[in-house]
Amino acid sequence: MSDLVTLKIDGIEVSVPAGTMIIEAANKIGREIPVFCYHSKLSTVGVCRVCLVKVGTPGFDRATRQPILDVAGNPVIRFFPKPMPACSTPVSAGMEVITESKESLADRQAILEFLLTSHPLDCPVCDKGGECPLQDLTYAHGRGESRFEYQRKHTSPKKIPLGDLIVLDTERCIICTRCIRFQDEIAGDHVLAIENRGRDAKVVSYTEPKFDSKYSGNTTDICPVGALTSRDFRFKDMNKPGVRIWELTNVPSISNYCNMGSNLVLGTHVGEIRRVMPRQNELVNEIWLTNKTRFGHHFHSSSHRLTAPLIKENGKFKQATWEDALSLIATKFHEAGEHIGGIAGPHLSNEDLYLFQKLFREVLNSNNIDHRICLNSAIDDDLAYEIGVGIGTDIGQLAENSAIFLLGSDLDEEASMLYLRVRGAVRRGCHLINANGRYTKLDTVANTKLRYNYGSAVHLVLGMTATILDEGLEDKNFVYARLEGIDKLKTKLQAYTPEKVADITGIDADIIRQAARDFAKAENGIILYGAEAGNDTALHASIRNLALITGHVGKKDNGVTAILPHCNSRGAADLGVIPHRLPGYHPVADEIGMSAKEMLQPNHGLQAMYIVAADIVGEVVTCKSAIETTDFVVVQDLFMTETAKLADVVLPAKAIAERDGSYTNLERRVQVYDPAILSPTPTCWADWHIITAIAGRLGAEWTHASADGVMQEITEQVSLYKHMSFENLTKPISLERKRQHYIYSGMSFTADVREGVQWATRAENQASFFELKFIEPENDMPQSDIILVAPRVAYDGGMLISQAEILANLIQQPKATLSPSVAQRLSLSKGDTVQLTSSVGSVALPIAIDGKLPDNVVLTPRNLAGSVAEQLLDGHNIFIGVKIVH
Amino acid sequence: MWSEKEQRELEKMLPQYNTKRSAVLSALYLAQQEKNWLDDDDIKAVADALDLTVTDVHSVIGFYTLFRKEPTGKYIIQFCTDLPCALRGATKFYHELAEQLGLPPEGGTTDDNMFTLEEVVCIAACNNAPCCQINLDYHENLTHEEMSNILSKLRAKSEKESTTQP
Repeated sequence: MSDLVTLKIDGIEVSVPAGTMIIEAANKIGREIPVFCYHSKLSTVGVCRVCLVKVGTPGFDRATRQPILDVAGNPVIRFFPKPMPACSTPVSAGMEVITESKESLADRQAILEFLLTSHPLDCPVCDKGGECPLQDLTYAHGRGESRFEYQRKHTSPKKIPLGDLIVLDTERCIICTRCIRFQDEIAGDHVLAIENRGRDAKVVSYTEPKFDSKYSGNTTDICPVGALTSRDFRFKDMNKPGVRIWELTNVPSISNYCNMGSNLVLGTHVGEIRRVMPRQNELVNEIWLTNKTRFGHHFHSSSHRLTAPLIKENGKFKQATWEDALSLIATKFHEAGEHIGGIAGPHLSNEDLYLFQKLFREVLNSNNIDHRICLNSAIDDDLAYEIGVGIGTDIGQLAENSAIFLLGSDLDEEASMLYLRVRGAVRRGCHLINANGRYTKLDTVANTKLRYNYGSAVHLVLGMTATILDEGLEDKNFVYARLEGIDKLKTKLQAYTPEKVADITGIDADIIRQAARDFAKAENGIILYGAEAGNDTALHASIRNLALITGHVGKKDNGVTAILPHCNSRGAADLGVIPHRLPGYHPVADEIGMSAKEMLQPNHGLQAMYIVAADIVGEVVTCKSAIETTDFVVVQDLFMTETAKLADVVLPAKAIAERDGSYTNLERRVQVYDPAILSPTPTCWADWHIITAIAGRLGAEWTHASADGVMQEITEQVSLYKHMSFENLTKPISLERKRQHYIYSGMSFTADVREGVQWATRAENQASFFELKFIEPENDMPQSDIILVAPRVAYDGGMLISQAEILANLIQQPKATLSPSVAQRLSLSKGDTVQLTSSVGSVALPIAIDGKLPDNVVLTPRNLAGSVAEQLLDGHNIFIGVKIVH
Repeated sequence: MWSEKEQRELEKMLPQYNTKRSAVLSALYLAQQEKNWLDDDDIKAVADALDLTVTDVHSVIGFYTLFRKEPTGKYIIQFCTDLPCALRGATKFYHELAEQLGLPPEGGTTDDNMFTLEEVVCIAACNNAPCCQINLDYHENLTHEEMSNILSKLRAKSEKESTTQP
């Protein structure tokens, strides 16, 4: 903790850490100094000058170097002759600040008058109107009338599209550079800049495509004047009558696209979502949202929504009543007996997932359930249960004494919100070790970049663990008190010294050693691992050992997080929608059921299948025959998906904004969302409601009438979730915490700010013991010169996101990305098509060339149109050896 | 034009800089040397060579008046007509020069693409007004006779260059 400095602001004494700027010190005692360019999340530039205040410091006698005292013995304060900017003047001992002196008020008035010389005053048609700092400050400090002739105002171009999503109004812009600093500092996409000087200065983007950033929507929130507005909400821009922000009803919700569970506000107007804004949660998304979350809400109002139950007769769907549909389902499920299987998508709420497994286990007596539809990218682990990140972990605050070991994940694509937070941690001094088989965006800031050969991530982890034990860097107290099997592990690891794994991983032994030291010596350590590290028990065991021996478990800012693909993948694992585990990570007592992989084999032997919120065929086209050969298939979804087309009964569900429920994020934080709008027709039911109805037809006597009623049962039945009652989850944060959260974002809406509740891992119980497990890695390195890697990308071919017209240009089209030298070797150029062949299948794809890709990798994202990557993968890892033919 | 020659020269310079980004002014100067202005390809080349985005490079170009994104004549005459110069007759001189070059009062480029005339605000040589900057060279205490001399010398120089470089 740095030293405290005491100063007086408007006569009130306040103590703040040395180096704090006056503005933050003033904020601490509730004195709000007006700002435009200053933003607490961005670097300080001091360009707008609206925060000028009167500042004085105690006078010192030059000869004696003693403070000059007045007759009463108090130090004489000497005020600076000119006003000082509060945003960039650091506090000093004995300083006195007057925030609203006569001079400062005159300065503010003058600054505002200058800013308004070119500002168009088109507030009546401006989207920012009503939540605009310039409007508010003009109201508070402006002159009231202008001395400039309105006709002679400086005008400049309006409505310049900065990319597909954001519109720039140059004459509203006051060149505060908040947007540019956000892009450079927070997002790491240097795609905005100021061009020219003086009157000609303007925000520009020359990058192709323009303003190419997954986070660009945030600039519209932090823009203090309405120069940047989103095309999605912009007045009368989408062939819809405009709506003013004060007409919106703001409802707290959670992103259905974000595996961190970004908090958001749904702004609704006459039953329709009109805009999505971030809701501050410093532990999850701070004040940011990804564009996917912000602009991807259009599926709610899509005209393609299912509106009534459908029953297939002679190959054609006919609209049916719920009565008929439920009766038919009950009869058929009853007939199928034990030959029934269920797949529930990880986009469902915890309540739906819990009831889904309860239906199968208690009513249908089957363990044939799974949520891991996307065969390859689902990471099946129970590391979270044992050593997930400690309660209160806040990557948004990690700094110098911490290290993050990121293994096998491109966070920018797979967990965009986590990308922002990890990037922020690195900026504050956290040590980032980024290990992957290829370049990923975090390499631009990573302290250590490790490039392993695909399939050898486990060897890298073993090499690091061996180093730590060899050099005695393990957390000895922790090892002594809570671990067993350290000697056995040491013996086993003799075969995996850095020298011995250098060859297989392709990483120099000394670099492995240094990475191990950096991770072990950090006070706090977090391991994030994703699908590109591989997906086998040896890898998970090695990660577990590394976290345990370094003692980086069971406390805040320490632990392990798997980068799971969907918004509630964690909840699905927690609540036992998996063939071998009951809710709360208890192993099943009876026979282990069939996994999704087994159920989706052609000869699965199932008579009936119940598929909820999962477009299996859309994601993995090769699963089609498995579903076709099933006698009776029920699909419950929002849309007539490729999977639903094969069903015998299709049930219409409610979308997220039409109901309440809860999601559990990557870091095991359970968060609730509220209902905001009505579903297209009353015949759409919430998923938990439909499951309850089916259970009722099958003789169960469930009495659930609401999602929070289901959660109540979960709190009683699943000990991990015992604190997760809706009452706890919807508790707004305290006033004191709100004060800490105070930021300058220009958001004037009010919606409950909540923080969610995390469940405790086993390691957090100080009395728990762990046995170190060593699993010999299988050598399953792809045996090929070229390896196909199929990571998940943000803009994939998902059903929900494809309903948002505004994002249509961003959806990735299937292609094979190669390095320039491979392209040259095969004499390929842009626009050519190649045939990729693996041991599983063969597809033709157009190529793209990326200079940052290693020569042995071809990149084809998964879950794109036609599921091309999936046709080449064998369902275990997300990489496989391939042959490329021109 | 950014060619291998420029790339080689840039690589020679890079070790002098702490970060690649710091070399952006020198790189732009190299890129602009030949034809006096920067086209999109030049900007892209500089961005790629220094691991910057195109937007970043545009931002630097926009800040400095000596970098240009529009075609210009071979010699750019920046003629100051700000107050101190005007007091020494610079405005009148400027208009006469424009007329002499066959250009409108707001300046522009001569038909033969030899000269671009620009009215600028202060080149920090007020004491020796009328004054102008032609490319990187200053010309002070100008008279019309001198100015004509300078222009014809430049024309001759340009001709000589074009004959020696077939």
